[in-house]
Amino acid sequence: MSDLGRVLRIDARRTAPFLAVPALALLGAVAAWRALLPGVAYWDDAVAALFASVRVLGPASAALAAWVALREHRLGYLRGLSARSPALGPLLDLMLLGVVALSAYTAVAMIVVVKTLLHVEAGHPQVLGLLAGALTLLVYTVIGYLAGRAVPRVATVLAASAVTCLWGVVRPGTWTYLLPPPGVEHIHPFAGLRTELLAGQALWSFGLGALLVTCHLWVLTRRARLAVPIVAAVAVIAVTTLWIHGQQRTPLAPRAFEYSCRQWPLTVCVHPALRTALPSLEAALTPLATRLSGTPGSFTKVEHRPDNDFPRPANGVVYIHLSDLSPGYEHRAEQEIQISLLDARTCGNPARAAGVRYTALVSAWLLDEAPPRLTDLTAARDFARWAEVRRRHWLRTHYLRYHSCTLRGRDFRVV
Amino acid sequence: MIADFSTIVARDMGIRRGGRWILRPTTFGITSGVVGLAGPPCSGRSALVATLATLRRPSVGALELLGHDVTGPSGQRAVRSRLGLLPDRFGWAAGVTVREFVAYAAYFKATPSHAVDAILERFELTDAAELEMDMLPADLRLRAGLAATCVHGPDLVFLDEPLSSIAEPERDELIGLLRGLAPAVVVTAPDPAELTGWCDRVFSIARARLIESLEVSRTWSRVPAGV
Repeated sequence: MSDLGRVLRIDARRTAPFLAVPALALLGAVAAWRALLPGVAYWDDAVAALFASVRVLGPASAALAAWVALREHRLGYLRGLSARSPALGPLLDLMLLGVVALSAYTAVAMIVVVKTLLHVEAGHPQVLGLLAGALTLLVYTVIGYLAGRAVPRVATVLAASAVTCLWGVVRPGTWTYLLPPPGVEHIHPFAGLRTELLAGQALWSFGLGALLVTCHLWVLTRRARLAVPIVAAVAVIAVTTLWIHGQQRTPLAPRAFEYSCRQWPLTVCVHPALRTALPSLEAALTPLATRLSGTPGSFTKVEHRPDNDFPRPANGVVYIHLSDLSPGYEHRAEQEIQISLLDARTCGNPARAAGVRYTALVSAWLLDEAPPRLTDLTAARDFARWAEVRRRHWLRTHYLRYHSCTLRGRDFRVV
Repeated sequence: MIADFSTIVARDMGIRRGGRWILRPTTFGITSGVVGLAGPPCSGRSALVATLATLRRPSVGALELLGHDVTGPSGQRAVRSRLGLLPDRFGWAAGVTVREFVAYAAYFKATPSHAVDAILERFELTDAAELEMDMLPADLRLRAGLAATCVHGPDLVFLDEPLSSIAEPERDELIGLLRGLAPAVVVTAPDPAELTGWCDRVFSIARARLIESLEVSRTWSRVPAGV
């Protein structure tokens, strides 16, 4: 082993890689997993999950770096009074800490990527997002290390962790949430991260990291030639900050896609990120479509739409809005279709309270839910006794009253 | 008095910290031999050693070491390879053996690895070379620290309270070792009495002033330093 290899091996003990990497990876993986949309395999959401992991990994990595710097301080009499460059020791430390942080980040990224691939992914892998997350994590590490070197106290470890954690959750202005790590929680299907913004964020992190490191090297060595990279890093930060400030809008942009559909017996079309839900949606919505067949509310096609897009159901097409596939999503889709059958204006009228109760009885049947308690026990009992075919026939004749929440007790006594 | 060939030359050099003088501006020179620097804890003694060892800059005045002005970066760079420093309660990387510790120091002193074996032998550490630093008794640990400090053959060595944890029976043997570390050795202790008798000159820090003690027994001084 070379002399440098032996030195690196000794220095590596302070970073405790065999403990630090798994611990950091576990922290990051938990944060990323919690941030991923349930059941959705969307590359842009995977990048958002990586940013979420950086918001947790970063402060932990900064604390580790501050702790390493604190312990390094005790060796300053050997490394500071060096015949080699006084920057060598800190650079070796930063390199080792960077390897530890990036190893943990790589493990987290692998988990997120494998999960996305296994769930039949949609969209395109965002390499720039991965890079921006990695550079941001390195900046956290550099900040922790420099804080530990500047003030070698145990309190610095806690302070470095607390301050960096605070930066992840609280920002002074709206636009600063676009600075790395960006404050995006979830990327729902139909929208995507803006690639140019990811590039700006990666560049901003790179500039900040380079500025911090080169400034520290200048303090250690007083080399005039370091002025060039310092000025360049300041310029990169200034330009990217101004550019990000100029964006002043959401980090998301509409993303082109092609629906994934299932054609029979009902046509159900969803965003490809949710295509795993097609069989269960088909199974859940077909009974509803069957019960509504022959009525003005019958439908033969279900289309998944963005959260801000609410077209009126028409021509046998109804619309659902699902942002994830958390448990119960099929029933939520059914409920949404059922609610779209009703006339909100008349059903919201307090004078129609009695009609609303009868409508709820019919809706419970449509959705396979337990019937509500009615004061009109006769109507409830009669409706419960009817066979499925009789109920469908009854609905075809009373659909308009159901739609407008104007059902009456005697409607249920009609043979 | 400042001789032209002084190892350390301080002119009106003062050190301030937190708005108060740790060492008021003072002028002194040290040529060679073993120089004692006494001062109670928190008297600024360690700060003065750190300043003389170029780890911090003097607040005012000029400082020359081995003929180089070390108030600027170029002078510091030129002289650091010729200095050695062993702080009070010096640290080491956890779990390292004596050999690894000295080799670690040798790397940063840009010293070839064969010098490690030589210095271990010189400090009678060959048998303890594979023992972990944490396991060593105080005197062997000090020897290992001295070996790491002097692996590159420095011209000027600073030792901050090296004998503070050493029992009396081992002190005399180690004092002989300390005197031979380098042509000029600056060693500190909390009490001047601990330095009198084996240092060639003894300075004390009192009320932020450096005062030379004139009552120095020459028992050890008959042995030339740096031998």
